[in-house]
Amino acid sequence: MMWVSWRRQRAQLITLLGMLVVGAGVIALLRSTMIDAITSSQLARCVTQALQDCTAPDGAAKAFQEAWTTRLNIGQAVILGLPALIGVFIGAPLFARELEQGTHVLAFTQSVRRTRWMVSKLVVALVPSLIVLIGLQYLVSWWLSAAGTLGPRKNGSFTALNFGIEHVSPVGYALFAFALGAFLGVVSRRTLAAMTAGLGAFVVARFALSGLVDRLVPAQRLEVSPATNVNVYHDGSLVLETGYLDAAGQLVSKEKAGALLQACKSTSEGTPNSQEGFLACLPQSGLSKWYASFIPKSQAWQLHLVDLAIFGGLALLLLAGTAWVLRRQS
Amino acid sequence: MTAMTATAVGKRYRTRWAVRDCSFAVPEGKVVALVGPNGAGKSTLLRMAAGLVRPTTGELRTFGTPVDGRIHPDVSFLAQNRSLYRDLTVRELTRAVGAMNDRWSTDRVEEVLGLLAGVDHDAKVGTLSAGARTQVAIALALGRLPRLLLLDEPLSDLDPLARDETLRVIMTDVADHGTTVVMSSHLLSDLREVCDHILLIDDGRVQVDGDIEEVLAEHRVLVGPVADESAVAGTLISATRTERQSTLLLRKAEPTPAGWADTEPDLESLVMGYLRASRDRRSPARRR
Repeated sequence: MMWVSWRRQRAQLITLLGMLVVGAGVIALLRSTMIDAITSSQLARCVTQALQDCTAPDGAAKAFQEAWTTRLNIGQAVILGLPALIGVFIGAPLFARELEQGTHVLAFTQSVRRTRWMVSKLVVALVPSLIVLIGLQYLVSWWLSAAGTLGPRKNGSFTALNFGIEHVSPVGYALFAFALGAFLGVVSRRTLAAMTAGLGAFVVARFALSGLVDRLVPAQRLEVSPATNVNVYHDGSLVLETGYLDAAGQLVSKEKAGALLQACKSTSEGTPNSQEGFLACLPQSGLSKWYASFIPKSQAWQLHLVDLAIFGGLALLLLAGTAWVLRRQS
Repeated sequence: MTAMTATAVGKRYRTRWAVRDCSFAVPEGKVVALVGPNGAGKSTLLRMAAGLVRPTTGELRTFGTPVDGRIHPDVSFLAQNRSLYRDLTVRELTRAVGAMNDRWSTDRVEEVLGLLAGVDHDAKVGTLSAGARTQVAIALALGRLPRLLLLDEPLSDLDPLARDETLRVIMTDVADHGTTVVMSSHLLSDLREVCDHILLIDDGRVQVDGDIEEVLAEHRVLVGPVADESAVAGTLISATRTERQSTLLLRKAEPTPAGWADTEPDLESLVMGYLRASRDRRSPARRR
């Protein structure tokens, strides 16, 4: 049965392999060109150090970023878009084309069970797609790390573009897009309808569910006196919520805190307050503590796993639905 | 043992009944001609027997087992659109279909393809002529070593020579293995040569079900004067009338009145009579 699926999807698998080979070649070439550019403009130290800490010729970093940011972003966009492409071009036609052309009748009137036929088709289509996706994801990551803090990585792990292409998240999205395409294919029995509806539904679901993951990972909480310098904004953490607490540890509402902050900016005589005076004023007026709930960079992997669980779980539901519809299909 | 039994089988597509209240039994070893006008429900009936379509009402059994979304291991089905993988070669397709079956004989497929002229094993299925594709599909159906063959329009796109070849292959299988065959077709003269049983379906219902010889003996064709039709007794199936002469197809006719010529119909005129009656029922406006 596997041989049948392999033989029927051979052209598609060769295309996928070609994509991987061409992608690897292009990325390797871009990466080596980029490293040459970094070396020749003496920016090598800025790859590992923050831009303000490294010594580099004037304007070199800016010139490098102008030349390379777009290309690096395109590389990221490819990995971000690949799951959608897998869903549209591999998931959606998988069963829809057979049902549309009536070739499913051949398999359905042999002794092989429909579920086994479905699983073998799924495996032969999905596994190579995931391998190509993971391969390209690794290659783009390899390229991005060569640019280090000169490239998009300087924005931290939690920006939409950086988060969506790291760790297991792309695999989760691809599983979901693929299963969605396959499901819509067996329901609609029309290739084109399944492709377009699949793309639309995937994009909507991907945006709608992107905020969910932040709420499902236990956040850390930081409580400090308002005068303390905090670095949650600079160490790449994902800050979910901030605010002020009064002396009893109760949350001060946003409006009230805003008014108190405003009041502290000027002295009782009406002149602008000094920095020390301002910081001293805050606890006196009831803003005893400042707090933040955040997810540190080191916990990013938990977010990725939750992401995989959400999208992978939806994918399993959709595949179960696909099997159910196929069993009832005439 | 009966190869296939239908008990009050019905299938509704949205509001239209494709098959309604069909009951019949096909004894093992019979070669059944399934005839009826276009859209009578022949294909739906065969697809239900192959487990591709679920009946809305009633039950179909093949070899005593209810068909429940799955083809019986002893049954082979030839679909009307032939449903083959067009981008595979004949050899690859044979291997593919073999891989999808527990009981399979590649030798049988090769043997059948050898008997049928002009199928190149290394040609892609999509490049073959419609007739050659049908022959490949029949060879693949026989590769399952079936005891019941369900053939939906097996002769429709074959030239006379290929038709003869194909029928001979099917009849050899019947003679050698006692295979039961149910085939739908519009080619009545070909059916007459190979079939011994007729199942005539119209508007989703069974109209005639029986041994062809017996069915033919039960019917009479009477030719006589138009003015004198009242003299004829029996169940009138259909009639064609010219100015002076009526030709009537009757079931269980009473003794022929004087002035009427009486013959036993052949299969073609019998089926034609029923088809004409069905068309008249559907569009009474055209009746004369």
